[in-house]
Amino acid sequence: MNHTPSSSTAPARGNHFGRILVIAGHAFTQLVRMKVFYFMAVFALIAIASNFLSLPQHAGPESMGAQVLNQIKSWSLGAMTLFSVVLSIVATALLLPKDIEDRTLYTILAKPVPRFDYLAGKLLGVILLVLVSLLMMDALMVGALQLRTSMVMSEQVGMVKSLGWGDDAIESLKQEIRANGSNWSLQGAVLAVFLRAAVMAALAILISTFSTSTLFTTIVSFLMYFIGYFQADARDVYLHGGEAGQGAVARIGSLLVSLVIPDFQLFNVIDAAIEGQAVPLVAMGKLCFVGIYYTLFYLFVSWFVFADKEF
Amino acid sequence: MASEISAVEISHLSKDFRTHLRKPALRAVDDVSLRIMPGEVYGLIGPNGSGKSTTMKALLGLVAPTSGKCSIFGKDSMQVDSRNDVGFLPENPYFYKHLTGQETLRFYGKLCGLGGRELDARIAELLKLVDLEGARDRRVGGYSKGMLQRIGLAQALIQEPRLVILDEPTAGVDPVGSRQIRDLIMTLRDRGITVFLCSHLLEQVQEVCDHVGIIFQGRMIKEGRLEDLIAIEDQTEIVIQNGDEQLVARISELVSGTPGASLVRTGKPRTTLERLFLQSIR
Repeated sequence: MNHTPSSSTAPARGNHFGRILVIAGHAFTQLVRMKVFYFMAVFALIAIASNFLSLPQHAGPESMGAQVLNQIKSWSLGAMTLFSVVLSIVATALLLPKDIEDRTLYTILAKPVPRFDYLAGKLLGVILLVLVSLLMMDALMVGALQLRTSMVMSEQVGMVKSLGWGDDAIESLKQEIRANGSNWSLQGAVLAVFLRAAVMAALAILISTFSTSTLFTTIVSFLMYFIGYFQADARDVYLHGGEAGQGAVARIGSLLVSLVIPDFQLFNVIDAAIEGQAVPLVAMGKLCFVGIYYTLFYLFVSWFVFADKEF
Repeated sequence: MASEISAVEISHLSKDFRTHLRKPALRAVDDVSLRIMPGEVYGLIGPNGSGKSTTMKALLGLVAPTSGKCSIFGKDSMQVDSRNDVGFLPENPYFYKHLTGQETLRFYGKLCGLGGRELDARIAELLKLVDLEGARDRRVGGYSKGMLQRIGLAQALIQEPRLVILDEPTAGVDPVGSRQIRDLIMTLRDRGITVFLCSHLLEQVQEVCDHVGIIFQGRMIKEGRLEDLIAIEDQTEIVIQNGDEQLVARISELVSGTPGASLVRTGKPRTTLERLFLQSIR
């Protein structure tokens, strides 16, 4: 079935990009009006609660400030990961089956709308939603961190001064506290969370092109998410675990698996950012490439499946 | 007329659906051919499951023909640009419930590349045409069945298509809503828009269509001009205003005196139950 645009000189109006934006804007509005942003209240609670949680620690009192800041980052980024992945999978899994069930898909595809534009629009709508959600959560997290950093700074500096620390030691402590506050590495971690959610949304849209229900799409997408975390380890064990992994076929097979299923361990830079370590630009560049590659890969495979789908 | 491009051309269309891997494919449409010229109102009639909707979906590129070909104004239906000239209203449509009537039309208009004042004017014109001006800012989720059909018709017309395809446009709609939709179809015909509709409500098809096709078990069993198909060739109907019994008696006498002719029936023509209902509630 050929659903690619014809090259004939029909009086077609609009363009691909315009149509994709219309569908994306609509998908975004649809999800917003489904009140998905209510979870922001839960996130705000988590961000505030993480200030007061005291977990057992083995470090000295001079590290307590950094511990509190790490705790805020850890809880906030954890909640961001949870919300963004759940949102990207569930929202995407909901959109296509709902359009088919309600027959709204018929009215859209009966217009001069190529199927690729429809899919890309839906995906972009979900990605937009995830982006806006993350930006809001990021703003909350940064706000909480800024506030807490200045409090920790004055508390800790006051404490070490009373213990008689020298200026150099105090400056070093200040630097440590700043490193654990809000910085560019933390924004890199948020970008990593966003890229991972975008990949998951694209994967969910691929699954929903051949799935028959929202439930199936959601379950398989989460399964693929977990496989993404273990596939690199599994490949390593297979390739280095014995003779089976030494052959060319095994290596090609392993390469194909990595081309189709993302290695989500690459996104562990988030942990480094929580620990206050700087995330190298090269690592971020690699993440961006991986995120864009898998998102586009899944989108084009979705198109391949969806182009021949009958309704 | 002969050189004019058909609005719809379906040529030897067959469509099989595979329901089970081991079972043979189910043939939903079997070698159907039809041609609709611009400006015609064509009704495809048949019982449920006879292949009407599948034929329409094939024409819209929503399903691929197993064999045969469909075209719209000379363009292959499987090409996206064939849909520049088509508006489609599916059976029992649901539109996005979170959008208002106006937003719904704006969404479909933008999909067709319309925008700005042109789209605003078109939305206002269509809302007036389908009598939904008062409900323009109400969410579609709160629309009645008849209103949904009418907003559906408006979205089908948003890009001023030359062909409108309607799948069971009056199914499940009350008599008032049904009347409004049929009036709209006749308005479209007056504007020169080609209408291709399918229905199993035969009286309604008879009222609005000038050409019909009868499809049964996937096969086209009869097709042509409605007048030609339903006329009883050897009978003539005379309806007289203010004719008394004496006049009827004289006509009967005249008929009986004519070799080979016979009077079949005299009496008062009846209104339809629909007309009676609409008059009663107005």
